[in-house]
Amino acid sequence: MKALVARLGRACIGFVSGLGAITRFAGAIGVVVLTRPWRFRSLSRQLYDAGALSFVLISASGMTVGMVLALQGYNTLTRFGAESSLGAVVGLSLIRELGPVLTALLVTGRAGSAKAAEIGAMVTTEQLDGLRMMSIDPVDYVATPRALAIFFAMPLLTAFFILFGILGGYLVGVNFLGLDSGTYLASLETSVDFRDDIVAAFLKAGIFGMLVGLISTYRGTTCTPTTEGVSAATTSTVVTASVCILVSDYVITALWGV
Amino acid sequence: MSRVNGSGSQDPHVEVSRVRLRFGSREVFRDLSCDFPRGAISIVMGGSGAGKSTLLRLIGGLLRPDAGEITVGGDRTSGTSPAEVLRARRRLGMLFQNGALLDSMSIFENVALPLREHTENGEAEIAERVSARLASVGLEGVEALLPRELSGGMLRRAALARAIVMDPEIVLCDEPFSGLDPPNVARIEELLRDLNRSRGLTLIVSSHHIASSLRLADQLVLLQGGASICGDPGELSESHDPRITEFLGADARAHVALRAAAEAKA
Ligand SMILES: Nc1ncnc2c1ncn2[C@@H]1O[C@H](COP(=O)(O)OP(=O)(O)OP(=O)(O)O)[C@@H](O)[C@H]1O
Ligand SMILES: [Mg+2]
Repeated sequence: MKALVARLGRACIGFVSGLGAITRFAGAIGVVVLTRPWRFRSLSRQLYDAGALSFVLISASGMTVGMVLALQGYNTLTRFGAESSLGAVVGLSLIRELGPVLTALLVTGRAGSAKAAEIGAMVTTEQLDGLRMMSIDPVDYVATPRALAIFFAMPLLTAFFILFGILGGYLVGVNFLGLDSGTYLASLETSVDFRDDIVAAFLKAGIFGMLVGLISTYRGTTCTPTTEGVSAATTSTVVTASVCILVSDYVITALWGV
Repeated sequence: MSRVNGSGSQDPHVEVSRVRLRFGSREVFRDLSCDFPRGAISIVMGGSGAGKSTLLRLIGGLLRPDAGEITVGGDRTSGTSPAEVLRARRRLGMLFQNGALLDSMSIFENVALPLREHTENGEAEIAERVSARLASVGLEGVEALLPRELSGGMLRRAALARAIVMDPEIVLCDEPFSGLDPPNVARIEELLRDLNRSRGLTLIVSSHHIASSLRLADQLVLLQGGASICGDPGELSESHDPRITEFLGADARAHVALRAAAEAKA
């Protein structure tokens, strides 16, 4: 019993001190972002890596999700004779919920884990210590461009996910289930609100981007300098970031109703 | 610190005093004190796990001791002031055991990095200085290669070029000889001696390569049981202290005699 309480206590202390450390890390990134030099070259390279190279994955996933949504939605809607609302169902669920969340989960798996492993490998080969000894701050030189790249890529990728999702829904709804193309688009257009839906999607995407960027670079730079350390950092990035995405999604939806 | 025959160094460039450090339950340094004289080559020796790399990391401020103080040219790297640590690091260059070059960048970009970060030099000046440094370590025509395309010996030399590109006063070298064949060991040895003589650099080198250490060192620092024994190679090789003789082995005197003969000839 005593051991259990002790373990619980230790876990709580570990959790809180971890939270403190990642907050300090976020503060350090904030300072770097606000002060010169701004590493645009490095940022654009990372943006290409985290963003452009994720494009095919994101658009293909968006397309399939849209297609499934259309099939499922059609089957349900026909029961109520409401198949003309298919566009609204596909569009709204993609924009408000599935687009931001699934994109964030996919980016975590693809870019977040890769960045954590990359920085972790740099830690094990003493590259970060090498930078420190040259009076170069690894948070500035290594972590910030990667975290920022994920932050900027997320809303863009979310937009593509939604776009390809709506396209996939259109293909299934119109070409396969024989819905009228005008009906699909009109129901989409009338139901989606710019402020309540589109802006909200970008808000979510921005917050998710910040979370994934921070968690992956933090786990990378604090990685234990061993092979196991790198794999632990990668796994914990995916697990922590995924949980944070899902929890914060609920919180955002509950607070702002988006 | 225990010195073999009492003489303290007059002008210490790096001072380590009463340092204690433990990792969890493992005590690496119990009470470590030693001075590294200005302009001298000091070699830190000790068995595997004695704490050679750890001592260099402490001096560089990459690790903080649990107790005690470390100063580099008067600035503490053991303290909590980031500005002081940065000032100390401007005096330091460090050669890591595996080079620690950024593996996504060419050799040129690696060596140019500190110049780009800390100086206002133009592209032409940077190129000139980088090639001069690479030439001084005997590397030419490798600028465009990536670190993984170099051999171990070349990598070590490229890392040395990066460590000295900002003209530091002190260079810390972690195991510069390990894993190299005899010609490459001799080459690095020659380079270090040359840096020390021509630029007056203070060198702090960790090594368990006994022969080259005895040939190169002005001062030996033997790490043992969490403390250190310092002395020049002559003193240590003459010593009958079992802790010293056990580590240096029977050939120590012969190496020192050979060195004396070579120096007399030169
Ligand atoms: N970050 C760390 N965490 C825990 N223990 C450590 C850490 N760094 C070093 N140690 C321990 O400190 C001791 C000294 O390590 P260090 O790497 O300095 O030895 P060394 O003299 O350089 O050995 P080698 O010749 O093998 O390089 C070792 O026993 C090692 O296990
Ligand atoms: Mg070592």
